[in-house]
Amino acid sequence: MPTTSATSNAPHPFEAILQRLSQGDGLLPESEINLLEVMGILESYGHVINDYQINLRYIADQQFLVLFPFYKYMNGDVSFKRLLKHWQHDRINYEFSEYCMKAMMYHGGGGMDAYLDTPEFIELANRAIAAKTKNNPLIQGFNKISSEFLLEQVRQMCYYRALGQFWNIMADMFLALADRYHRGEIKEIRDVIHHVKDGLVSAAADPIYYSVEINGETYDLIPKSVGLTFLVDTAIPYVEAVFFRSLPFMGILSYNAQAQQLPAEQGEFIYGALYADPIPAGSAGVPPSLLARDLVRYMPEYLMAYYRTFSRGESDLSVKSIVSFQKSMFCVTSAAILGLAPHPFDSADAKAQAENRKHFEAWVDRLINSRSRLEIVQTG
Amino acid sequence: MLLSVLILIPMMMAIAVGLLPLNPTQIKTLALWVSGVLFGLTLVLMAKFDPSIAGLQFVENLPWISELGLDYRLGVDGLSLPLLVLNGLLTLIAVYITDPAVMRPKFYYAMIFLLNSGVVGAFLAHNLLLFFLFYELELIPLYLLISIWGGARRGYAGTKFLIYTAISGILVLAGFLGLTWLSGSTSFDYNPLLSQGLPMGSQLLLLGAIVVGFGIKIPLFPFHTWLPDAHVEASTPISVLLAGVLLKLGTYGLLRFGLELFPEAWVVAAPWFASWAVVSVLFGALAAIAQTDMKKMVAYSSIGHMGFVLLAAAAATPVAMVGALFQMIAHGLISGLLFVLVGLVYKKTGTRDITVLRGLLNPERGLPIVGSLMVLAVMASAGMPGMVGFISEFLIFRGSFAAYPTQTLLCLVGTGLTAVYFLLLVNRTFFGRLPEQFYDLPVVTWGERFPGFALAILIVVLGLNPNWLSRWTEVTTIGLVQDSAIVIQQQNDLRETAFVIDALP
Repeated sequence: MPTTSATSNAPHPFEAILQRLSQGDGLLPESEINLLEVMGILESYGHVINDYQINLRYIADQQFLVLFPFYKYMNGDVSFKRLLKHWQHDRINYEFSEYCMKAMMYHGGGGMDAYLDTPEFIELANRAIAAKTKNNPLIQGFNKISSEFLLEQVRQMCYYRALGQFWNIMADMFLALADRYHRGEIKEIRDVIHHVKDGLVSAAADPIYYSVEINGETYDLIPKSVGLTFLVDTAIPYVEAVFFRSLPFMGILSYNAQAQQLPAEQGEFIYGALYADPIPAGSAGVPPSLLARDLVRYMPEYLMAYYRTFSRGESDLSVKSIVSFQKSMFCVTSAAILGLAPHPFDSADAKAQAENRKHFEAWVDRLINSRSRLEIVQTG
Repeated sequence: MLLSVLILIPMMMAIAVGLLPLNPTQIKTLALWVSGVLFGLTLVLMAKFDPSIAGLQFVENLPWISELGLDYRLGVDGLSLPLLVLNGLLTLIAVYITDPAVMRPKFYYAMIFLLNSGVVGAFLAHNLLLFFLFYELELIPLYLLISIWGGARRGYAGTKFLIYTAISGILVLAGFLGLTWLSGSTSFDYNPLLSQGLPMGSQLLLLGAIVVGFGIKIPLFPFHTWLPDAHVEASTPISVLLAGVLLKLGTYGLLRFGLELFPEAWVVAAPWFASWAVVSVLFGALAAIAQTDMKKMVAYSSIGHMGFVLLAAAAATPVAMVGALFQMIAHGLISGLLFVLVGLVYKKTGTRDITVLRGLLNPERGLPIVGSLMVLAVMASAGMPGMVGFISEFLIFRGSFAAYPTQTLLCLVGTGLTAVYFLLLVNRTFFGRLPEQFYDLPVVTWGERFPGFALAILIVVLGLNPNWLSRWTEVTTIGLVQDSAIVIQQQNDLRETAFVIDALP
């Protein structure tokens, strides 16, 4: 694992990347192709997560404690025509957004994770549960026997809602970026990173809140007064969970125990989007990812035209779209790294530069390991 | 006249292709059309064939060199008809999958047609010398097809093939000459009664020569060593023909000229043949397990699977005989499919080494449909129910068990080993993660997949409805044993066995 300590005198093995970060550039090298791929995929991703956030918020608001939510992916449209399309799989893979939501919930982090264990939340949740199960003695009895079950469902609903809100902001940000690209305002990778960084910073303090309406009455679950915000309580936990440790790319990255690829330490077990192997392992039942299929659905023509020029044309779009998606997520990560840096990257102060350098090194060390895609995207 | 047409058209085409002023594309198109017509003619023959008649049909008889006892005598029965159709189909497929940019195309297609003519002639000939002429005729084009269009060691493989199969021809000829002279016949016409007046020692000697001669062609252990080399060095279309049709000349000869011409000696030697079959089956399977070259593995599997035919022939029960013919057809289709697929893997990846290949079932960047067909082919080869391989092996084992239970059980182990080596092949080559070096494999077109699909469909269809094959051949193959003394002998044995069983308390 090519990591280095910040105190080492030897040059960092990924000095070029550190230099770029120090100058306000990103983890991904500048190139026309990289820009085209990143912009095309982010435009598509903007549409995809817009669909995701609509569904996540629909589930949080309309499917609250519906114990058998058969139609949760229908967004309220349960017409026969819609069902036919669903059965033909002519639909968005909302399951992917649920994987991300569950990843955030399992890995926790941020203020929301802490809030959901407070007595204040438990009281609010129990009030909502009581209202929802008022006319259902069976569930009431069940809730008495297993008091944590419905409570955990409500916590999950909070994550549905929080991720929905997070993606709502991100979708607008990416679609605005695409508009700027079409207007000719985005000319390099650096512009992408700074657009995202500025977007994250401007939305950083946006409140994350959640209330649900039951029998005409509104029940707060995450009141605005709790003070949960976009950046600290959803964006950072999302990056930690989904980019570094989550399981949303099921089937894409395959740990092979026979080949001794399982890490000895649980903490080294990485499975996030930034490490995902775009080439699916195995065959039957392995989706190159649900996300890839959704990305292809909204693929802009200029990116599609580029994909047609190499490898298998339109036959391996899942692989190509995931490669591009990872490049784009390295840009988003770059924006987060720059945004979270202790000092502005262009600070002239030597001490500030040293502290920034330490911050950048910590991130790069984290991203570089035996299964890293960061190294691959430097040349690929 | 139809039978002569089947021989003459490819023979004339072999000459015409060399003379016509055509470019390589036009030559391939012409070859495709002609091989399509030839295949169509075999289907016409099949449509006109009366499956209820055990004997020869469409007999053509012309005196040729009567002083030598050589007459132009052709005929078709239920034993040769399916093999003719198989030959027509596989020749069409071989032409179809031939690289359009094949070097020296005129010579290449001339050799393909000459080979076709020789094989058809051998299946149709009902004069011993005439059979020998055709048997030797196919040797020359096949030698050239391996030696000119083969791989790096084509010269070695071609020469080895030539030496082995020439010896095979000599032994077969010696057997025919011996039979004719010792029986005092003046004609080489095919006559199952010829051997009946000969002493058993002479019969066994002649049968031995013929069985070893065809054993080389089949091939059976220990005469097999030419086959893996020939397969590895031959191009894909030639491998398809070699495994699918050429080896069948050996098994066909075994039944036609071994079992049918020497029924009394066959009874004496049959237990040894059954044991020989076991050795061949187990050797082929165990050798296949040790291979790392996909093509060599399929080649060794052929040695194993052809051993089943010897077991069935040794048992010589009606069921086993139907099974033997089924096995010939099944192996022709399955090994044809396997070689087509191995050829595609090699064409796309540049290697057949199963220690290098991985993850080819990858749905995005691999060869998923080729891989899926390969899974079907190996299941068929391992005798999975629902496919033609199961029918043939079931019939052989069912028909042979009463006669040779120990040998049959040991051959069943060989079937189990087939699953072992082919699962190793599929697991190593198609499952797992696609290595980086294969990220940009060329796309397999539907045109390239077509022959594989055609063979796969036949494998499944005949597996689900075996009657579509057995109805053409059942009467002849059963007649093959009913007319001989073997059946009487074995029926006596079985009656005795039944009597003993009935007498038990």
